[in-house]
Amino acid sequence: MNTRSTHTATAELTLNRHCPLVTCGQKIERGERIATASDPGMGDIHAPFPGSVEHVDPYRIRIAREGGETVDPAILHDLGGQELLARLRELGADLPAREQVDILILNGVDEEPGLLSRRTLLAEKLETLRTGASALVRGYKPAEVTLAVPGGVKESLPDIAVKVVSDQYPQGLDPLVAKAVTGQEAPDNTLVVGLETVFHAGMVMETGLPVMETMVTVDNSARLISLGSPVGEILTSDGLTIHDGDRIVLGGVLRGTAAASPSQGVDRATTAVSLIRNPTPVAMDAACVGCGECVRRCPARLDPAMITSYAEFGQYEKAEAEAVDVCFECGLCGFFCIARRPMLQYIRLAKHELAKAKAQSGEETQP
Amino acid sequence: MKPLNPFALTVSVPPHRHCGTTVRDRMLTILVAMLPAAVMASMTFGMPAIRVMALSMATAVLAEMACDYFMDRETDVNDFHAFTVGLSFAFLLPASAPWWLVAFGSAASIVLGKMAFGPLGGSPFCAPLVGWAICRISWPSFMDIDASMLGMDLTYPLAQLKNFGLDAVQITDTRQLFLGKQLGGLGAIQIAGVLLGGMLLVMRKHVSSIIPVGVIGGVALTAFLFNWIDPSMYASPAFHLLTGSTLFGAFFLATDGPSSPNRQIPMLLFGLLVGALIVIIRIYGIYPDGVPFAILLANLFTPALERIRPKPFGRR
Ligand code: SF4
Ligand code: SF4
Repeated sequence: MNTRSTHTATAELTLNRHCPLVTCGQKIERGERIATASDPGMGDIHAPFPGSVEHVDPYRIRIAREGGETVDPAILHDLGGQELLARLRELGADLPAREQVDILILNGVDEEPGLLSRRTLLAEKLETLRTGASALVRGYKPAEVTLAVPGGVKESLPDIAVKVVSDQYPQGLDPLVAKAVTGQEAPDNTLVVGLETVFHAGMVMETGLPVMETMVTVDNSARLISLGSPVGEILTSDGLTIHDGDRIVLGGVLRGTAAASPSQGVDRATTAVSLIRNPTPVAMDAACVGCGECVRRCPARLDPAMITSYAEFGQYEKAEAEAVDVCFECGLCGFFCIARRPMLQYIRLAKHELAKAKAQSGEETQP
Repeated sequence: MKPLNPFALTVSVPPHRHCGTTVRDRMLTILVAMLPAAVMASMTFGMPAIRVMALSMATAVLAEMACDYFMDRETDVNDFHAFTVGLSFAFLLPASAPWWLVAFGSAASIVLGKMAFGPLGGSPFCAPLVGWAICRISWPSFMDIDASMLGMDLTYPLAQLKNFGLDAVQITDTRQLFLGKQLGGLGAIQIAGVLLGGMLLVMRKHVSSIIPVGVIGGVALTAFLFNWIDPSMYASPAFHLLTGSTLFGAFFLATDGPSSPNRQIPMLLFGLLVGALIVIIRIYGIYPDGVPFAILLANLFTPALERIRPKPFGRR
């Protein structure tokens, strides 16, 4: 199998609450929609190249490259408002569903140390970002738009205020950027959109084609990589050899997900692909030893020790009373936990179970 | 046949990097921090001190393993916590303590101070103090440092203060106190060693400096107040800080994770409370050295102090 070429022979699209629209063996065109999002703020998924569907299960769709056509470009420039946003989502931009947005913040700060994708977008793709930003403004109709950038970035977008934000972790995370820009914690009707989403929207506007690539940090640089590219191949074509027991991480080291297999594909939220080799302590099933490190480090001023202990024993309502929903999943509690508890995992479990319970009791309020 | 995947990936939840400190590292650092005081104790009291420390640690470890066995749990003695409990308990004993007292107290610290509340992290009390309190109340004469150390030419300044008043205290040279030329808990009074170890813990960020600062501040403030009211009757802040187990308590016992608060302001209040209680117990209580009881009492306030907490991010 020759996989060293720039174009991978297969692509694996990860489904994240998406419903597959294709079946095995089906021939598809480049840009054809292959799965729809079941979450109101998420974009659909499209084939990054023409080919045939090799494998479908609830978690992934794999396609093999074959010759074929590209779908016809969509016509978008006469749309506006929610209609435009809905259309952009259909074409693969992950635009949160919001009725009213007063302040729109475009987050150009890379979330974690070592990530470069947003910086690189600002340096290299300013034109596309400009198009994307104006589409978002047309869609959300905010009263104010701000671009948050780390110090030292000279680029800016027309008619958009620039706010320099510290890039000390975790200051680049959306809730903290919103605070830095508005001076308020969790301000009302404020939406923070990551720069990669602005870029995706810009690409869609420019080409009329769905999102098919994204900016990914690999090693010490960031480059455009086509969605669905197997992470193992990205790393090996970069000259790395993967050994037994290594971890391939999609995203940053504090929040990213470990790939289940080297064939797992890059998705739109992937900001980095990295190989982690050092034998760092992997989280263990351990009880909290009450050292308090997590409590002192939590930027959301929560008590992660209590939250995770409640989650550990299935007492999700108590975790809710401890304000687990405020947690913005920075991962610092797990980084500093001397008992090496899987903190973020417990927190996400509690959030997930609470959301599920709410949905089941039919009380879910409109987002 | 060629394997389908030439390698197996590790799949784990984030974070994928860790600050590197584990429970075991922390306990080992605490043990290292106790080393200077242990060496000084062996030099001052000789073989008996070594005997007490070794026996106490060995009993603590065995007691923990026995508990784990009966509770049908996998043992975590390899996290070295039992060693720190055993050594801390020994540090509070007179070097002349009989073997059964050491063994009983050390085992009680582990069984009642730690294991009864589940694995490490559950106990509302600082474990070694539980054993100490039981022994102090059950066998006062053996735990009484003055009575048990008649053979030594050192004196126990706190007992002299308690029983005969400030004028009777023979050691007034702070340098002597600093170098451990006094009686008291065998390791706890090795002030220079304890201070060195405490600095190490704070500098390596294994304990936050807030609680020690609180305790020292609390002792200094309260002692200063009394001393100011009547300097002929009440000892100076320096005396209270350099005698008995004040500093050992400040750096090693009050900072015990599960039994002390976790946030900055409660930690400071907790420290101040311990400090104030130490001086008050020394002045009004029947025990010459108030440190262990002061910390145990303050442990009871931990849940209340923990209620002082900021609003979560973005909650109004
Ligand atoms: S991940 Fe942990 S440290 Fe970060 S905000 Fe959530 S609870 Fe706090
Ligand atoms: S850092 Fe870990 S062990 Fe320490 S209090 Fe938090 S959860 Fe418990």
